[in-house]
Amino acid sequence: MLVRVWTSEEPPTVEIEDVDKTFFDHGRRTDALRGLDLTIAAGEFVSIIGPSGCGKSTLLRLIGGLIEPDQGRLAVAGRPPTEGRSAKRFGWVPQSPALLPWRTVRQNLTLLPRLNQSQGRGPVADDEVDALLDAVDLAPFASALPAELSGGMQQRVSLARAFALRPPILLMDEPFAALDEITRAGMRFLLLDLWRDTRATVVFVTHSIEEAVLLSDRVVVLTGRPGQVSDELTIDLDRPRAHGVQDAEEFHDHTVRLRASLNKAAEATHTIPGPARHPAGGGADGARSAEAEAVAQASAPAADEAGATGGGAAASGRR
Amino acid sequence: MTALPPNLAVDPSPDDVGEAPRSSLLRTLAPGVGLLVLFGGWEAYVRLADVSPLTLPAPSRIFRHLGGDPGFYVANGWVTLVEAMVGFVLALAVALAVATAMAHSRFVERATMPIIVLIQSTPVAVLAPVFLLWFGFSPAPKILVAALFAFIPFVANALTGLRSVDRDTLELMRSVDASRREILWNLRLPHALPGLFAAARICVSLALVGAVIGELYGGSTRGLGYQARIAQSRSLVDQLWGSVLSLALIGVVLTLAVMALERRTLRWHTSQSTT
Repeated sequence: MLVRVWTSEEPPTVEIEDVDKTFFDHGRRTDALRGLDLTIAAGEFVSIIGPSGCGKSTLLRLIGGLIEPDQGRLAVAGRPPTEGRSAKRFGWVPQSPALLPWRTVRQNLTLLPRLNQSQGRGPVADDEVDALLDAVDLAPFASALPAELSGGMQQRVSLARAFALRPPILLMDEPFAALDEITRAGMRFLLLDLWRDTRATVVFVTHSIEEAVLLSDRVVVLTGRPGQVSDELTIDLDRPRAHGVQDAEEFHDHTVRLRASLNKAAEATHTIPGPARHPAGGGADGARSAEAEAVAQASAPAADEAGATGGGAAASGRR
Repeated sequence: MTALPPNLAVDPSPDDVGEAPRSSLLRTLAPGVGLLVLFGGWEAYVRLADVSPLTLPAPSRIFRHLGGDPGFYVANGWVTLVEAMVGFVLALAVALAVATAMAHSRFVERATMPIIVLIQSTPVAVLAPVFLLWFGFSPAPKILVAALFAFIPFVANALTGLRSVDRDTLELMRSVDASRREILWNLRLPHALPGLFAAARICVSLALVGAVIGELYGGSTRGLGYQARIAQSRSLVDQLWGSVLSLALIGVVLTLAVMALERRTLRWHTSQSTT
């Protein structure tokens, strides 16, 4: 069933040194990240976890070259992330499936490879698309429109679309957050199966402790806003990880450690003084909205794109 | 995991869900019943109240008149139809160009908005004599009025559609450094289609109104608006009502054509869904 999906090059390292990122939205200042240091090894599967609004998505967008840091250094394979973006090195998996509703499943899979062929990374061969559809168990639905698929099937298309680029690095922003628990469990193992053959470097943002432990080589815990690395946990469970691994005592120990670390990070959040603790709506949801809004504003390369996304209103309603 | 049936619905309304074949038949017949009631009531009123044909001729009389000289109405209807359609297409093309520029630049949007508000706030019919002065006895004044009538709904819906794309999808395209043109063709324009079709349904009628107003102001020797004006000045009541019904028929046919094209093009869109 599984297909061997090759990356077009060796997976890259990711180096982040002393990175700051602040957003300004209608005069309101939001410090998303401050002095963040992190190194991700080539081919490593790293999950980013932390309190709501801690800048996880901001970190992902910085690595993907969608936004620029205010200060500090970011490098993917030793080069600026914007170069990686131009060269289509990133397999981006957003929280929503983000499928084009007017294109069939197959057409959605082939869209991204067709865009930006400036550096010779062109369309995917038909048999490769067939193999990918097979791998995500959607071959019979190749000609279906997204509206004809369930949420889980749509997210499988989203996963396959990222792998269709044969990316050396995958950036995933809570891709399974909106799914029910049973579908979610299946998606995690599907991702592991797909990833096993590529060995791409993965940065995976999640809110789920179990998900982080199941998938990752290492889990990075961020503090609340402004995000800093609070802790890093190595998950030394054997690979490949199969169904039932969650029942092992070792797995349970990792989740306990990670939960304790998260609690510590949340407590640390409350001790950060000054503008860093910006009142962004009071509760966790308010903080998330502020971050999403700020990211929406800042993720645009120019004013036109900020407008194009519908600005903060659209972004704040996203999550 | 269940696949939904393809969306081939004609008319999305709440009572379409889970219909029995009998109610489906009733639904198909309903528009005919409505028209029958309108024309039947009209005919009955004229006959029973003995209304003078100068005030309101019976539909049967108008239909007889139309049947007596169909070539006259086809020839004049064609003139008005062409003026309206050229105006419609012109409005669509200009609106798309303007909305695209506005969607890509805040400066262009801010600079263009006052002009759009000005056009929207001006009763554009009053420009018909101006265009007549400029272009004289040609189709141009009628086409321009038709285009102005259709422009605002097109530009407003196009701008909304081009702008309000899904943030995740836009970010996904930007993650591979897709160009603005690629994003426009692959995301923004298809996303704007439902709004453009909604506008088109309104704009076909508006363009027809614009063409007729252009003809009513003079500068014409043909067209149904012109013939209605002549009929009114010479008390040719049958010709006046013949022109009115012919225009109504053209409007209905155009609207149905747009709706058919919309159904064909937007099978993926929720507006075409029964559930």
